[in-house]
Amino acid sequence: MLEFDGLRKSYGANQVLDDVGFTVQPGSMFGFCGSNGAGKTTTMRIAMGLVVPEAGEVRWQGRPLDQRTRRRVGYMPEERGLYPKMKVGEQITYFARLHGLDAAAAARASAEWVERLGLGARRGDAVEKLSLGNQQRVQLAAALVSRPEVLILDEPFSGLDPVGVDSLAEALLSQVRTGVPVVFSSHQLDLVERLCDSVGILARGRMVATGTVEELRRREAGRLLRVVVPDAAPGWAAALPGTRVVSEQAGDTLLELPDGADDQAVLAAALRTGRVTHFAWREPTLVELFRGAVADPRTDEEVAA
Amino acid sequence: MSAPSSTERGPGSGELVRLVAGREISTRLRDKNFLVGLGVTILLLLGLLFFQVLMSSGSDERRLGIVGDGSAVAAAVEAQGEAVGVDVTVVELDDEDAARAAVEAGEVDGALLASGPAPELLLRDRSPTMEAVVNAAVAGIAVAEQLAEAGVDLAAVPEVEVTALSGEDDEAEQEQVLVAIIGVVLLYGLLIMFGQFIAQGVVEEKSSRVVELLLATMRPWQLLAGKIIGLGVLGLAQIVIIGVIGVAGALAFDLVAVPGDLVGTVVSVVLWFVLGYAFYAAIFAMAASLVSRQEDLGSVLTPMILLLVVGFFIGLQAASDPAGTMAVVTSYVPGLSPLVMPVRQAAGEVAVWEIAVAVVIMLVAIVAAVRIGGRIYAGALLRTSGKTRLREALEAGRG
Repeated sequence: MLEFDGLRKSYGANQVLDDVGFTVQPGSMFGFCGSNGAGKTTTMRIAMGLVVPEAGEVRWQGRPLDQRTRRRVGYMPEERGLYPKMKVGEQITYFARLHGLDAAAAARASAEWVERLGLGARRGDAVEKLSLGNQQRVQLAAALVSRPEVLILDEPFSGLDPVGVDSLAEALLSQVRTGVPVVFSSHQLDLVERLCDSVGILARGRMVATGTVEELRRREAGRLLRVVVPDAAPGWAAALPGTRVVSEQAGDTLLELPDGADDQAVLAAALRTGRVTHFAWREPTLVELFRGAVADPRTDEEVAA
Repeated sequence: MSAPSSTERGPGSGELVRLVAGREISTRLRDKNFLVGLGVTILLLLGLLFFQVLMSSGSDERRLGIVGDGSAVAAAVEAQGEAVGVDVTVVELDDEDAARAAVEAGEVDGALLASGPAPELLLRDRSPTMEAVVNAAVAGIAVAEQLAEAGVDLAAVPEVEVTALSGEDDEAEQEQVLVAIIGVVLLYGLLIMFGQFIAQGVVEEKSSRVVELLLATMRPWQLLAGKIIGLGVLGLAQIVIIGVIGVAGALAFDLVAVPGDLVGTVVSVVLWFVLGYAFYAAIFAMAASLVSRQEDLGSVLTPMILLLVVGFFIGLQAASDPAGTMAVVTSYVPGLSPLVMPVRQAAGEVAVWEIAVAVVIMLVAIVAAVRIGGRIYAGALLRTSGKTRLREALEAGRG
C-alpha cells in the first residue's frame, strides 16, 4: 500500500499543502486531479524526496520512503528531463543503473524497453534529435526500466497525441496488472475517469474528495435530473418549487434537486407539458464532480477574504 | 507484494558516485572538442620541445679530432670549450690522412695534429671559435709544461671566486623556473577548462531538467562528488600525460641540466593542480547551480575566472621576483597559491614549512568550499527557473 499521510508544506506565507493524504492500493491506478497550482507537483516531489515537507510522510509497504527505497519507485517529473546529447539506449541504461541494476541487467532492460516503446530505430540517436512525442517515450522508459514497484507520474499524458495517449495508457495498465500501484496527475479528466480505480481531487492545497469514481458519484448522485420534454414551452420548469434549472435547451432540461425533493412532482409537471421522452437521474461526469469539488464555497470565502 | 529482500537492492553512495563519474568521463572522451584540445596541447608541447632542441643545438656543439697522444690536450680543449660556452667533444684519430678524411667528410669540425713538434689544426673553413679554443688549450699546456720545468708551483695561482649579484642566477634554476612557468600556464588553462566543464555540466542538468530525475535517485552531494571526481580524473590524466611527455622529451633531447629538479617541479605542479582543481571545481559548481541557462553562466563565473587570471599573472610575475612581497603573500592565499607556489618552489626560495602552511591553508579552503558550495548547490538545483539568490540557496540547502 502506498500512503500519502498528512503532508504539509508552505513557501513563506503561501500554504501549498495542508494535510494532504490518500492511499493507493497495489495494482490500482490513482488519478490525481486539481487545478493548476493546487499542489499536485509538490505532493509528488515530496514522495520523491525532492521537497522536504513540514509535516507528514509518504509510506510504501508501511515504511516511510527514503533514499534507498525510492530507487524502487519509477518517477516521471512534470518538467521532462533527459540529457539532450546522450544517446537513447545509453541514457535508459544509465537510469537503470542509477536505480540499482547491474551493468548487464541494465543494458538488457534498456534494450527491451527501447523495443517495447517502438524506439528501436532511434536507439543510437541523441535524445535532442527526437520528436517531442518520442522524447516522452524515452522519459517513460527511464521511469519503467528498473522494474519499479511503484510508479509516480506527473502529468504523463500532457503533450501526447491520441495514439500516444492510448499506448501510454496501455503501458500503465500493464504495470497495474503486475501489481504496481500507479499514481498520476492529469488535467484530462476523461482519461482519469476511464483509467483510474480511484481519484483524488486537490484544491488549494487540500484534498476535497477522494475515493473511487463510483463513490464520488454516489455522493453527488440524486441531485441532477434530466428531463426531455420536446413540446414544452421554454421556462416550463422555472416555477417548480425547490428545484433549480441548470440548463435548458429545446426541452432538454437539466434540473438540480435538493435532498428530499419530490421527483414525482417534477414528472407530473413535465407530463402536463406534453410528451416526456426522457426522465432519469443523471450520473455526474468527473468534470462536474471536479467543478463541484473545486468550487467549494468554504474555500471561495477564504479566497475572497 | 514484493519480497522484502528487494529492500537491499540499490547502489550505495560509492557506487552512485562512480556511476556519475563514469558518465562524465565517457561523455568527455567522446567529445570532439575535448580531444582536439588535448591534441593541440600535446602538439604545442612537442613544438616547444622541438624549438628547445633547435635552440640548444645552435648553442655550439663541436667535434674535434686529435691525432697523436691527445689525453692532456683533450682535457684542456674540453675545459677551454666550456669556459667560452662551446661544447667540444674530442675524438681520437689514427693519423693525418684519417684526420683529413674526417674533416672533409664533416665527421669532425676540425682535427688537431698533435703528434709533431708544431701542432697543426685542420679545418674545412676557418672558425674563430675553434681556433681560439684549440690555441688557448695548446698554449695553456705549453705554458704549464714550461713553468713546471722551471720549477714554478702552480698551486700558488689563486682561483677567482665568483659571486653573482643578481642572486642565484644559475642555469639549472632558470630551467626549473621556465618549467614552473610552463606548468603554471598549463595549470591555469586546465583549471579554467575543467572549471568550465563542471559549470556547463551543472547548468546542462538544470536547463534540461534532468536533475530532478537524478535527485530522485541520489543526493546532491553524490551527484556533485561524481562530477568533480570524474572530471578530476580526466584533468589529472591530462596533466600527467603532458608532464610525462614533457619530462621524457626533455630528458631524451638532453635539454635539462638537472633531471631530478625537473621531475620535482613537474610533480609539484601536478600536486598543486589537484588542490587547485578541488577548490575551483567546488566553487564553479556552486556558482553554476545558481543559474538555469548556459547564457547566464558568464555572469556568475566571472569572479572566479578573474581570481584565476590574477593568480596566473602573479605566478608569471613571481618567476622574475620569487622573493617579492606580492609573490610571498599570494603563495599562501587559497585559490592563488596553486598558481604562485610552484613558481616559488622552482625558484628555490621556499622552505618546506612554507609549502606545508600553504597546503594546509588550501586544504582548509577546499573543505570550506566543498561544504558551503555543496550546500548552495543542493539548495539551488531544483530552482530551475531564472537565477537563484545565494542566500535562498543556502537556506534551502539546509533543509
